[in-house]
Amino acid sequence: MTDQTQMHETSPTTEATDNEQQESATTPTGVSDLLSESGAGMAGYNYAYLDEHTKREVRRGVLKAISLPGHQVPFASREMPLARGWGTGGIQASLSLLGPADTFKVIDQGSDESVNAANIRRLAKTTADVETTTDTTEASVIQTRHRIPEEVLTDEQILVLQVPTTDALRRVDGSDDANRRRHAHKNYSKMWVALYENVVKWDEIQISARYPAMVNGRYLMDPSPIPRWDTTKLNDADSLFLFAAGREARIYAVPPHTDVEPLAFEDRSFQVERFDESCHRCGSTDTYLTEVTGDDGVTRYACNDASFCEKRAEHPDLSKDHHLDEDDVAWGPETPDPILSDETGGEDA
Amino acid sequence: MGYVAVKAGEEVIRRAEDLFEKRRVDGEDEPVSVEQVESQFSRLVGQVMSEGGLYAPKLAARAVKQAQGDAAEAAFLLRAYRSTLERYDDSLPSSPDAMFATRRVSPAYKDVPGGQILGATKDYTQRLLDFEFDESDPTDEWDLGDDEPESLRNVMEVLRDEGLVSDPDPVDDTDVTDTTREPVMFPAPRDAILQELARGETGAVTALAYSALRGYGQVHPTLGEVRVGSLPVEIEHPYTGESAEVTSVEVTESESVVPVYAKRDDPQFSFGYGLVFGRNERKAIGMTILDASIQLDGDEPAEDAEFVLDTVDGIDSFGFIEHLKLPHYVTFQSILDRIRAIRERKGLDPVDGGERTDGDGGGDTPSDREAPQAVSDDD
Repeated sequence: MTDQTQMHETSPTTEATDNEQQESATTPTGVSDLLSESGAGMAGYNYAYLDEHTKREVRRGVLKAISLPGHQVPFASREMPLARGWGTGGIQASLSLLGPADTFKVIDQGSDESVNAANIRRLAKTTADVETTTDTTEASVIQTRHRIPEEVLTDEQILVLQVPTTDALRRVDGSDDANRRRHAHKNYSKMWVALYENVVKWDEIQISARYPAMVNGRYLMDPSPIPRWDTTKLNDADSLFLFAAGREARIYAVPPHTDVEPLAFEDRSFQVERFDESCHRCGSTDTYLTEVTGDDGVTRYACNDASFCEKRAEHPDLSKDHHLDEDDVAWGPETPDPILSDETGGEDA
Repeated sequence: MGYVAVKAGEEVIRRAEDLFEKRRVDGEDEPVSVEQVESQFSRLVGQVMSEGGLYAPKLAARAVKQAQGDAAEAAFLLRAYRSTLERYDDSLPSSPDAMFATRRVSPAYKDVPGGQILGATKDYTQRLLDFEFDESDPTDEWDLGDDEPESLRNVMEVLRDEGLVSDPDPVDDTDVTDTTREPVMFPAPRDAILQELARGETGAVTALAYSALRGYGQVHPTLGEVRVGSLPVEIEHPYTGESAEVTSVEVTESESVVPVYAKRDDPQFSFGYGLVFGRNERKAIGMTILDASIQLDGDEPAEDAEFVLDTVDGIDSFGFIEHLKLPHYVTFQSILDRIRAIRERKGLDPVDGGERTDGDGGGDTPSDREAPQAVSDDD
């Protein structure tokens, strides 16, 4: 791929680069505006890379997914200039939603700096002319792989999660054909039996990430490989969550204020990851940490949400809802989360 | 500096790209031209077009050069490009009888209408590594007649005329499925299955077809024929409504009969069909085996349409296999949490008494021997 600045030089509407700021502030009124005025994109490619028919199809899939929370909607996933399994579903959803007035953030395993996140961000920046940011609170669309940010998302934000495996039932049956029938009948007995066997064998539910959850009391959903730490953030949130799988060609959604409940038993409650440590950089004890063993042999824990960790390093008392008018917003562990505070009997002796 | 997850963003990506490019032009040799790739590596170009699902020899040759000879990567480049193109029209159904065959063998019969055409093949020569390529054309002195190629009557037709081979289910050829424009759902129509097999990765088609021969299935076909040739492509003229030949494509076609009798009262052979872009006989034959196996709808892996179609696509499999190189430390932390909790519950100490926080972390990775056998929660 060519250097990005070079691309602008060879693009026919070079002046547009200078006016980028002003341009992106005005919302275009139609597709022709986007094509003729914005000057965005690589020569020979449409605005936001995908052709308009494809974007429309993806948006129709998104609307259907929102109407049926947790239900997997098939769509004709296109080959993207990223390898399948590297966020092609997410980027198709993002590019179908983005307009020049949007601010886009991409995180991979909690980090804005990961090379794959940078690559996806660069594709959106060059083809869709969007502003990009690493600050969760400033983004209108956030594409993410395997994390939900620590800062509470608002009703003006959409989180697009990259999905490798679309069906929670894949754990118990490899056939999507069979699993679609199970979903149609709301027949999740095989999953419950698998969880029960898990408890019998290991005395714990052994599922780590990708923890299955019931959406709106109707569909069992694979929330993508987010850690259990993030699972309850999906419940009754203000923001829209979109799940998009390119290789498996499915889109599904958790609309704002939808009930999302991780599967658990009365005497084996849902448990999140436990950390006895605090972040060695910012000192946080209420965030998802990952451990790193250095050359000195010392294992240290650090916040996984790199952008929030940076803020915390400067303002250690910053709450996860610091940018909101209300306080004590439910947003996973260490917040007044109704699902996690219901917890009974999980840590029996 | 300790392990830092693959990081640092756009500058690093750019430098990695530059390094990849440098490798291409390293050394003293003349760069190979796209034209040379097209003419001298035509098999590879054909394979890339077939797996890419786009008949475009020049673009495929360019992709091969850009991918430094990696067929899967080149097919991927072609597919990603294809997905940005508008789809204007469907071609009219082509009859294989219209093919200008440069090679045609029929293992089912000693001789067939139109004859056996061996064509150019190394099938029966010894595979000795050649240490002195002779760059002159050994066919220079051949005296070829100007005979028009004879009509090659389809061998399967001979059998069908006698009622020995079952007819395929009728296909609505006014409204063909296109799996690049609509997702494949199961049970999938046969045209969708054939399209996905035709775009399948050559090695995957070969391996899955081989599984049926090797004992995980009951299809051991007799090939009616294998043909290589140039097939005219016709469209309906937008103004006159007449059919108009717009181009031709080089294809390999194969048909097979399978001695499995579908109906008790009217026993007939089952059959399989394969057609792929370029000259790729093993993929075309593999495709006939998979088509026949899937039509049997049995319990073996190659007979399960969903299993075959889910695994046969090279772009899907190579992307997902290679994505494992991406950082996975979030999910791995979650996995570590589970195994530690389970070990704790069982009263097992951390390995070697080493403390997680004060170093000696080397031994404190989860032991595979203790790890429960379960589906990965990672992606």
